[in-house]
Parts: sequence; structure tokens; C-alpha cells
Amino acid sequence: MIHKSAAASTERVFLPVRKHHDHAQTRHTPAGPACGHRCRIPLLHEGGPMVRHVMRKAAGWLAMIVVATNVTYVLAAWFLDPRSNYRGLRPVRTEQQIDHALTPYNLDPRVPLAVRWWHWFSDVVLHFDWGKSPVGASVNSEIGFRVLVSGQLVTAATLLSVVAGVALSVFTASRQYGWWDRITQLVSVFLFNVPAAVAALAVVFAGIWLNQHLGWRFLYVAGEASPTVSGLWPTVADRFQHLILPTLSLTVLGYVGYHLTQRSLLLDSINSDFVRTARATGLTRAQAIRRHALRASLIPTATSVAFSIPAIFTGAVITETVFGWNGMGQYFVQTIAKNDVHGAVAVAAFGAAMTAIGAVLADVAVVLLDPRVRVS
Amino acid sequence: MATTVTPLPEPLDPGAANRALAPRLGSGRLYLRRFARNRGALLGVALFVLLVLFSVFGSLFTRFAYTDADFAALTQPPSATHYFGTNQGGNDVYAEAVHGLQRSLVIAVSVSVLTIVLAAVIGAGAAYFGGRVEKLTLMVIHFLLVVPSFLILALISHHLAGDWRVLILVLTVFGWMSTARVVWSLSTSLRERDYVLAAEFMGVRPWRIVMRHIIPNLGSLLIVNLTLGVVATVLSETALSFLGFGVQTPDVSLGTMLADGSGTITSAPWLFGYPAALVVLLTVSMTLVGDGLRDAFDPTSTSAALRGRR
Repeated sequence: MIHKSAAASTERVFLPVRKHHDHAQTRHTPAGPACGHRCRIPLLHEGGPMVRHVMRKAAGWLAMIVVATNVTYVLAAWFLDPRSNYRGLRPVRTEQQIDHALTPYNLDPRVPLAVRWWHWFSDVVLHFDWGKSPVGASVNSEIGFRVLVSGQLVTAATLLSVVAGVALSVFTASRQYGWWDRITQLVSVFLFNVPAAVAALAVVFAGIWLNQHLGWRFLYVAGEASPTVSGLWPTVADRFQHLILPTLSLTVLGYVGYHLTQRSLLLDSINSDFVRTARATGLTRAQAIRRHALRASLIPTATSVAFSIPAIFTGAVITETVFGWNGMGQYFVQTIAKNDVHGAVAVAAFGAAMTAIGAVLADVAVVLLDPRVRVS
Repeated sequence: MATTVTPLPEPLDPGAANRALAPRLGSGRLYLRRFARNRGALLGVALFVLLVLFSVFGSLFTRFAYTDADFAALTQPPSATHYFGTNQGGNDVYAEAVHGLQRSLVIAVSVSVLTIVLAAVIGAGAAYFGGRVEKLTLMVIHFLLVVPSFLILALISHHLAGDWRVLILVLTVFGWMSTARVVWSLSTSLRERDYVLAAEFMGVRPWRIVMRHIIPNLGSLLIVNLTLGVVATVLSETALSFLGFGVQTPDVSLGTMLADGSGTITSAPWLFGYPAALVVLLTVSMTLVGDGLRDAFDPTSTSAALRGRR
């Protein structure tokens, strides 16, 4: 999966058989009995089994978020030591004083982990209160605006990656072994191997160079907004100028996976019988590729989007660090460095939620693309 | 490779006539020949060997150790004394690069070997035993795949503060899932094969079947994933160290060098450029090798098997 990023985690594996989904196993045939004429929104207007299907999937993902968040809580409470935040302070405090200071924040190590967990869990469920940092700052107020900052970064990068990767794959697969195909493939394989940190810094470098040569500070390389800008349109423009480079550096890493896998999937389906049949019915080559080959080959890609979001999120952690964005990624680095158990858990919950949203959207996309998915 | 001991009646074999004309090529030789045909793969091997040699013998060419601080030369650009320049603390970037590459290589190779072993045993075991074991394993794999594992990784390795051996362990624990999933999906078909059934009827113990009959038949996949695992590990190690959760000072890896150089990218680009180039060379070389191996092992590959005979 996933996985570029890095990035890291990026997860790169040799996949001889690409079958992610349990119910998308046989080859897609658009002219099947389920879909005599290309039905654009199957089942949505037939009484809503698709809605039920998606709801069931979403419930499963919700359970995943809950489990992931709780596991992270236990790990964070186990591995992070909030007491060390107080050890360096002057005047020197005794261990008892430190524990006492941590008690109101539900971080007192003398209280059993299960009790602390229950406090934390019930606060989250009942009041949506994600707790306090070791120095008493509310996690809720910290993550409020950061969620938006990171959310826009991850969403924009994911969408751009999918669109750019798929568009490039259509362009190159219909010109197999042509110049463009070779060059873009070479570039993609190269980018596939660039660590997120290197990519982000290279983009910073290029941005600074471009600014110097244009003689106009168009691209910003630090922060998510300028503090001095006011008014609606100047603010929007300013945000946009800040957003370009980080999104670009995430997209550069993210599109590669879609380009390479989608290209090979598309090549498989371009040469298959149902595309030849479509051509025989009088469609042009471009129409046959777009309506039949691409549609069929998009299904595995759609399911893989969900699994690539953790990698994009990892990339976002690094990108935000490099670009000095006050987002969830940078917050995560801070929380771990400052032994902020509750903050770190909130970031993990955010990451899991992004993955779940991506997965549910991917499920919807699969149902829309694949008329054979009987949502039972 | 199974060899027949007792003479059996020769089955109908359309390739027999061809084989009589040309001497039979062993599978190892065939793979090697296909691999050697791939220029990119050979380039990858050459690059990788050069990088390994550089990391092992590179320190012989400089009189500085990576821990030495040359206070007479702070943040100097590359010169005859300091081939790659020096950083803000006066450390020789060349010596640091040699040591950092060594560190990153050791971590990457050991993690990918351990990961492959773990993935093969878990994936093939789950597929063979089936039932509840399989369900549970798949659940764990899917869970770990979608959980932001990088965050948990950072959490643990921060606590264990920078020992590279611990980093190997942590990266392995969170790195096996995707390969295990692929191994599982291929093993589900292998477990139905005749030789597995035959071994079962002969009373071979389950784990022995997994180890001797299923895993060896996934050999090519595992070797390809081994090389790609090196790439993935280098990337995660770099990311962790860049954020300060991986290798930590005074130890040096390519990731920490990137982090050190990131602040001065316009004023002292050599601090960033050399480690960045080394990381990319390392990952690109391993990807080229991995692609070459995949082509060589792929039974549908038409490169050497059909065109190879003159």
C-alpha cells in the first residue's frame, strides 16, 4: 500500500495478482446482464441497498477507529513519561509533587492504567473531550484548527494524486512504449524512490529559486498563512499561495503509485475482448478506452486509495515539519517530544478517521464503477 | 526442485524434442541469464555494490572520523581536506556520509530479511491452517495495515531512544503485513496443490509442510520483495530519523543528516545534497535490482527463455 511515503511506509510490494476486494474478483464485463446499458448510478435509485451496504462498511470502519485509538492510548500511556516534563523544572520537585501536579490531567502514574483509560475513554465518548496535555493545555483547542489545516492538505494531495496518476496512466497506456510513456515511467520510478523529506526539501529549494527569478514572492515555503493579511479574497489568495508547495510535494510522492499500477492494469484491459467488442460496436479508440477499459481497471485502484492514505498521512507529517505548518503532523511530533499522551492519541484517531473516510469513499466508488457488485 | 528417482513412463511432453537439441538449462542459470540481459538491473547491481564498498572502505580515504569536530572549519563547502564539506559543528560530511550510509544499509538489509521471514511464516501458516487462525491473522494484518502505524512506530522508537538495534526490531514488527498478505493470497492456491496433499497423506507434520513445501515455492516472490523491502525500510528509517524518532545523536544515519541539512538548504546546500543523493542512489539501485529479479523470475517473461537459444 502502502503504500508511497514513505514515503515511507510506504508499502511497496510485488503484487502479481491484484485482488484487493472480496467481491470484485471476476473480470468486469460492461455488457453483462446486470448492466445492459451503462447504468451510471446502479442501485441508488432501486430502493437503497447501496446506502445500506455503505452504512455497514462505515460501521466496520468506525469499530476500527475505536480499536486503533484505544490501542494507541495504551501504547502512548505506556511509552510516554509525562513526569519527565517536570523533572527539569526549577525549583526541583519531588516525585510526589510531580505526580500530584499530573493528577488533574488524568496522567498520574500512580493511578492504574485501566482507571486512567476509563476516565479518558468516557470523556471522549460522552463529552468529546480528548483530555489535557501534561502542562494543562486542552487537546481539543489544539487540534480544532489543526484538523482543518491537515485535512485540506491530505485531501487535496490525495485527490490530486489520484487524478494526476490516473490521467497520466491513460495518456501513457494508450501510447505504450512511446517516448512519453518511457519518459514518464522513468520519472515515476525515480520519484517512487525519493524519501518524503528529500522531496519536500527539493520542492522548497525549487520554490525559493523560482521566487528569486520571478522577483516576486509568489510561493511561500513556511507556515500555512500570513498573519498580516485581512479581507476575504486576500486571505483566500494568501492561503492558496501557502498551500501550493506542500500539496505539490505530497502529490509528487503520491501520484506515482497510481500512475504505475493503473498503467499496467489499463494495459491489461485495453487488450482484452470486451474493449475489442466495444470498438467493434463503432466506438473510437479513445471512447473505448475511456468508457470501458478505464472503467473496468479503475476498480482495484479505487480500493487501493484507502490503503494509501496512511502513507500520505505519513508524508504529511514530514511535509508539515519541513514547511512549518501548524497541522496534525507537526503537532504529533511535538506531542511525542513533550510526552503529551492525549495529544498523540488524538492525532492517531485523526489518522485512522482519514483512512476510514477514504475507505468508505472507495467503497462507494467501487459500487458506482462495478455493476456486478451485488451489495448483499 | 523435485527429482524423480524411479523411472516413470515418460509423459507426453511437447518440449522434449527441443530439449534434446539444446542442453537443458538449470533454473538458476536461466534466471541469471535473464537477469543479466536487463541493463537496468545490472546498473542497479553495480550501483549497489559501489555503495556497499563506499560504506565499508570509504573511511580509509579520510583522516576524519564522523565524531571528530574540526573547529577550524565550520560550515565549509567541499574542499580537498573535507571532500563533502563540513557542518555547523565542524564534522566532516564525507565521514558522516560513510558512517550514515553504513548505518542505513545495516538497518535496511536486516529489517527486510527479518520482515520477509516473518511475512513468509505468518502468511503461509495462516493460509495452510485456515479456519480461525486464518481469519484472526487476516484481521490483525488488515488492522495493522490501516492503523497509522508510522505514528505508533514513532511513539515506540522515541521511548527506546535511538538505539539502532531497537529500530531494527520496531521497523520489523510494523513492516511485515503487506508482504504477509501477498504471501497469504498466493499460499491459498498452493495449499490445494497435489504435492501438498501428497505430503499430508504421507503424514508430514503441518509446520513442516509450510516450511518445506509452501514457502520454497514462493521463493521468487520473497526474493523480489526482499529487495523492495530494502527500499521501503530505507524510506521509513529516513523519515523516522528525519523527525528525530529514529537514529539519534551522536549516532548518524542518512536520515539524521537530511534533518541536519534541511535548515540550511540555501546557505549550505552540501549538507543536504550529499546524503540526499546517497539515499536516492541506494533506493533507485535496489528498485532496479528488484525489477530485474521480477522479470527474471516471472514465468510469463519471454526474454531469455524463448529468445535465448541461437
